[in-house]
Amino acid sequence: MIDFEPTEEQTLMVTAVSQLAEKLRGAIRRTEEERGLSEETRKTAFEMGLGGAVSVPESHGGAGLGLVTAVLLDEALAAGDPAAPFALGGPGAFASAIAELGTAEQASAWITRLSAHDRCGAVAWSEARPNRTRPGLSALATKDGDAWVLRGEKAFVLNADRADAFVVFAQVDEAKGWSGVGAFVVDAKADGVRVGARKSTLGLDAVGACDVTLEGVRITNDDRLLGGDEFTKAALRFFVKEGLKVASRAVGLSQSAVDIALEYVSNRRAFGKPIGHFQAVAFTLADRAIDIDGARGLLRRAASLWDAFAAGTAQERDALLTSAYAIAASLEGAMRAGDDAVQLHGGAGFMRDYPVEKLMRDAKQLALCVMTKEQADQLAAAIELDMPLDPALVLPTPDLQAVFT
Amino acid sequence: MTIEFSLTKRQEELRGMIRSFAKNVIRPQSLAWDRAHGIPEDFLMRFTQMAAAAGGSAGAWGIQGLGASADESAPKPDAADKKKKSAMVNTVIAAEELATGDPALLLCLPGPGLGGPPVRGSGTPEQKERFFSIFRDMSAGLKWGAYALTEPGAGSDVAGIRTSCRKDGKAWVLDGRKCFITNGARASWNVVFATIDPALGRAGHRAFVVEKGTPGFSVGKIEDKMGLRASETAELVFDECRVPEENLLGGEERYQTKEGFMTAMKTFDNTRPLVAAMAIGIGRAAYEYARDFVKENYVLSRPIPRYAAIAERLARVGRELAAARITTWRAAWLADQEVANAKEASMAKAAGGQAAIRACFEAIEICGAHGTIAEEHQLLEKWFRDIKVYDIFEGTGQIQRIVISKRLMPDLKSF
Ligand SMILES: Cc1cc2nc3c(=O)[nH]c(=O)nc-3n(C[C@H](O)[C@H](O)[C@H](O)COP(=O)(O)OP(=O)(O)OC[C@H]3O[C@@H](n4cnc5c(N)ncnc54)[C@H](O)[C@@H]3O)c2cc1C
Ligand SMILES: Cc1cc2nc3c(=O)[nH]c(=O)nc-3n(C[C@H](O)[C@H](O)[C@H](O)COP(=O)(O)OP(=O)(O)OC[C@H]3O[C@@H](n4cnc5c(N)ncnc54)[C@H](O)[C@@H]3O)c2cc1C
Repeated sequence: MIDFEPTEEQTLMVTAVSQLAEKLRGAIRRTEEERGLSEETRKTAFEMGLGGAVSVPESHGGAGLGLVTAVLLDEALAAGDPAAPFALGGPGAFASAIAELGTAEQASAWITRLSAHDRCGAVAWSEARPNRTRPGLSALATKDGDAWVLRGEKAFVLNADRADAFVVFAQVDEAKGWSGVGAFVVDAKADGVRVGARKSTLGLDAVGACDVTLEGVRITNDDRLLGGDEFTKAALRFFVKEGLKVASRAVGLSQSAVDIALEYVSNRRAFGKPIGHFQAVAFTLADRAIDIDGARGLLRRAASLWDAFAAGTAQERDALLTSAYAIAASLEGAMRAGDDAVQLHGGAGFMRDYPVEKLMRDAKQLALCVMTKEQADQLAAAIELDMPLDPALVLPTPDLQAVFT
Repeated sequence: MTIEFSLTKRQEELRGMIRSFAKNVIRPQSLAWDRAHGIPEDFLMRFTQMAAAAGGSAGAWGIQGLGASADESAPKPDAADKKKKSAMVNTVIAAEELATGDPALLLCLPGPGLGGPPVRGSGTPEQKERFFSIFRDMSAGLKWGAYALTEPGAGSDVAGIRTSCRKDGKAWVLDGRKCFITNGARASWNVVFATIDPALGRAGHRAFVVEKGTPGFSVGKIEDKMGLRASETAELVFDECRVPEENLLGGEERYQTKEGFMTAMKTFDNTRPLVAAMAIGIGRAAYEYARDFVKENYVLSRPIPRYAAIAERLARVGRELAAARITTWRAAWLADQEVANAKEASMAKAAGGQAAIRACFEAIEICGAHGTIAEEHQLLEKWFRDIKVYDIFEGTGQIQRIVISKRLMPDLKSF
């Protein structure tokens, strides 16, 4: 049954989150300068159920509210400050990763441990350079008796500076290329974990990004995440679902950029009338409104397909394809919305007195988190062309291979 | 209420039925129809009967003709449909499927067509009965209604129509020309918009139902078009055409307010999502064609390296169509909920038309020379010709953006 209306419970939650978002919108520059959310904001948000594991099943230590609820809340919060959903307390992306890759026991133990406003989890996937000697990750996990030893460098790890624990991806079988990747939970306090200095970034200043070095970190077998039957498929599900959350933040950003620009062009006058009353300006905003409607619809449809997939009533292929479309549409839409919002402010848009230049920077940063538009497009094409979902092709690998290579 | 996008079992079944009919029966004939500038009446007759029999409520499925969802003569949606309020959503789902077979078929279907909504919305009970009853039994011959608003000097600028009307005794006398009227020549009646005084703007507009054979009414040129060639597009000429006063739509009192113009505009909130859905259907046909071409020629038979650019283009086309479909569903869903949807209907029309045009362009390019000349790819060439008008009729892309802009900026009166 086609239905666009949220449940009453969802509406109540969104209303509460929107109020918090409104406050964050007012504090957007302070958050940026302080490079983080205040303790108080983290507390408030955590009490609302944010930052934890909204969509993680209860069996895995989450709230079990489903992915549709998660994307609704992320969009609402990001409309205040797109960086905020990344900068909350609680397990965050770590929860999504462990829920997808770990067993129910592993997930609930770790998610429970990290569920507090002053705790945090992170996911270490990326590496700064592709491995030139063989396909796969450079970070290595080697077996040592019953344990595993991790060595290598992970890059651009969001929240690494605050994290109490990481899900770390590393090569467990060098001969198997991208099919030989594994995942582990690593306690941030474990011997051999070194978190680098916080990087200076283009946007999303409220969240830290750092390199993480693993110097012979010992992990017990209990903390290896096997990803159920098929590790690659589970990993892909993690990236795609997390990508949807980032995409929902992009839609929140787009909406906010359009709202701010609308207000500006209704008041700013040139050539004897509000600039919004020139078609070139108005049509630009109409186009962005069309983008938002399509991206938001795709996003919610993708999220509902995942919820249906979990309930056994939808195909994984449909969920993956719609997600890929949703991610690419949302990220591309946010780039256009941020850019246009600055453009329609004229010179003022370039100045930090107005929030739009931050939105434009944040939009670019969002487009580089988790899954890019290009990766999403490649995934969609691979699915539509009935190609095997080879991990080298569909995971956001540093040497992402194009569909036809 | 909960956010979800799965089709009901009944919707799935009907979609499946129309999908296979479009592919196996309609599409194989579409090139011939295009060349013949029309669809044989016996096919239209059989199709209408089949649709009514199979669907149970063909009207609700939009397969009795464009605008049929608002048609009084169409069978009422069944009780389940009403309870769940999904008539418009059903219509856009059906229209997309049918258009994958041939978009012109939808425009050729017998019934009141675009003339339906204004008669239903503004007609008196007596008029509704009189004008809709002719469609009840078409076993002796098919019948059409049509909608004549556009003139040589006024298309987008609807308020600028010059076809004049003046009262003379018990009749109204119409003078002027209408152009680009779908089914205008074959129609048993046309809803014709005219003005008592151009200086009055919208307030001067009157809508008439002009029946075939009315003295002073004649058909001018039948257009030779780029695409949708199987659909009739006619010029209508009114030369001291005397229309009986009882054919003034809604009666004289109705025009004491601005209703006359609103009659014209109301039509579009319902038809724009439908037109968007048709566009998406054509775009999808082209997309799927190109996708399968790539699958066969590159992926399966000869792995040509570095065709990432093609993959990206395919993905973009698929994505834009998917996004436009959701926007269209939302506009239709709002109509079913009886919520004002002018902005969403325009967003659907603008997004659907543009996404589908891009799909047809890209499909031709992806298939290369095959797309434009090879015998076996003539469908691609046809879709390319058919699609352009979807960003023109029912309000051009620019006009949709004006509608959206006015909803975004309530204090914007005009540009
Ligand atoms: C880094 C920087 C350095 C600068 N240096 C200088 C300098 O050295 N000296 C100096 O004098 N100025 C300088 N400027 C100012 C610059 O020239 C103006 O910002 C620019 O001309 C735009 O004018 P505005 O900001 O008033 O925008 P507006 O005129 O308010 O325009 C806002 C938006 O409305 C659009 N718009 C306006 N009118 C119409 C219309 N009729 N139809 C359609 N769209 C319309 C514009 O394209 C824009 O998108 C500088 C600006 C910047 C950002
Ligand atoms: C196949 C076909 C079937 C049709 N069927 C019917 C029918 O059944 N009944 C009927 O009444 N009409 C019908 N039409 C007519 C159709 O609705 C008009 O062609 C359409 O509304 C555009 O009007 P126009 O052709 O006069 O273009 P114009 O209004 O002259 O527009 C020309 C260009 O200027 C742009 N433009 C115009 N005004 C503005 C503005 N204010 N701001 C920015 N840009 C603007 C337009 O977007 C367009 O790009 C049909 C047309 C076709 C091609």
